[in-house]
Amino acid sequence: MENVRIIAGIILVAVGLFVYITATIGLFRFHYVLNRMHAAALGDTLGILFVLLGLMFLVGFNFHTLRLGLIICFLWMASPVSSHLLAKAEFVTFKHIKSECEVVEK
Amino acid sequence: MRLILELILPALLIVCALAVTFSKRLLVSVVIYTSFSIIMSVIWVLLESPDLAITEAAVGAGVSGLLLIYTLKKIHALKGTSDE
Amino acid sequence: MSKMAKIKKEKQTAWQRFCAWVNGDTADRPLMPADPPAPRKTKTDKNKKQKTVSSRKEGIELNRFGSIYRICAVLIGVAVVTVLMVTVLQLPLFGSPDNPAVNEVVERYVEKGLEETGAVNMVAGMILDYRAFDTFGESSVLFLAVTCVTMLLMRDKNNTSKDEDLLTAREHVIEGYEEDIILTKIARLLIPCALVYGIYVVLNGHISPGGGFSGGTIMGSALILFAVSFGMIRMSRFFTYATFKKVTSCALLVYAASKAYSFFTGANHLESHIPLGTPGAILSSGLILILDICVGIVVACTMYGFYALFTKGEL
Repeated sequence: MENVRIIAGIILVAVGLFVYITATIGLFRFHYVLNRMHAAALGDTLGILFVLLGLMFLVGFNFHTLRLGLIICFLWMASPVSSHLLAKAEFVTFKHIKSECEVVEK
Repeated sequence: MRLILELILPALLIVCALAVTFSKRLLVSVVIYTSFSIIMSVIWVLLESPDLAITEAAVGAGVSGLLLIYTLKKIHALKGTSDE
Repeated sequence: MSKMAKIKKEKQTAWQRFCAWVNGDTADRPLMPADPPAPRKTKTDKNKKQKTVSSRKEGIELNRFGSIYRICAVLIGVAVVTVLMVTVLQLPLFGSPDNPAVNEVVERYVEKGLEETGAVNMVAGMILDYRAFDTFGESSVLFLAVTCVTMLLMRDKNNTSKDEDLLTAREHVIEGYEEDIILTKIARLLIPCALVYGIYVVLNGHISPGGGFSGGTIMGSALILFAVSFGMIRMSRFFTYATFKKVTSCALLVYAASKAYSFFTGANHLESHIPLGTPGAILSSGLILILDICVGIVVACTMYGFYALFTKGEL
């Protein structure tokens, strides 16, 4: 049972790190701001979820598990909002945005 | 494991410090400086001083980066922003 | 006209010129050039060929000076780095028992610290009891820094032009009706959590890692988040320049009074007649808890003050 827990934790952390590596490669390979931000935001949410879940398994189920869950809640609230604000800033300030992506007029 | 971390993190610290001085744009320098602070806070944890690590993460990575970026905005040094 | 101005300028006394300089009136030598700097000349610039012989000679001399300067800089840098490396190699190992930092002072602090200060967290006992005067100096430095920033960046009649007034008015209008709904909803959830976490870190300073500085910074960043998401107008309902002044100076005065009492009783560590309590409880360790709260308030106000002065020029 103990071994299963540790192995599951290691696998989850590895998956999270893989997501992070993909996000970093995307961050460097894409050219336009919104594309790069998409990659970075994915890494920030999915990657941190897997890494923290893996840490929960590794630490065992006690008070620290609750703290890690709170960290996940905080990051899932804070990080998409900051990405949204960055995207909004890009949308407001970049004049030729229609040449880069589709824009739906309200 | 710990030895590897203790070797890698100071090396990253040196790389960050050099990158801050050699980068051409001031905004890039500020961003690298905040990452310097984050690495420094991890090193404080490794050196068993969590007090300093919390303060470094809050002040170095959070507030001082914010203030530096606002300073750049104030002196019109951000590329592509013009208040005139 | 220029002659008149010149005569007028000569008639000014030194005091008047100093006043003008303090008010930012530097007509003869502008602080910042109004025009943007000329674009840098690239290598393909054709103007380069039209240089006269004399200027080219000067350029060569300048180049020679520049190369000497660079060589000297590299030499000095290498020498300093060598000295530092040699010194670092001779330092004792980190954490080894026979390095000079381990002496009777450290032994006394480690052995008697819990008993004398009542703080489980040794660091808090050190900086807020044995070395409380140092921490008082640090908080005063923060207060001084925010005072200097206020002097430099505070908006008033003398240092704002009409254009800047118009700009701020426009920003106020934009702030009024363009609130980002996602940001405000999330901020309503996150700001109380951040504030409570900051208060937790401050109040637990003598039990777990943390304390006034880190907790104060967390509270300050919560205030900054409030100002970002809801605007300065709503912020000014509960936090104005008057509140800032009162709260910060009261906190510093409480700190100074408790330290002055310890000077009065012989400038040993921060003695108090408050019972120390059981180590590990929140209400324990005498004055450390109160001093932590003071430092936290000063740091939080300072962080928010920096932000407000840098962005808007007003508190």
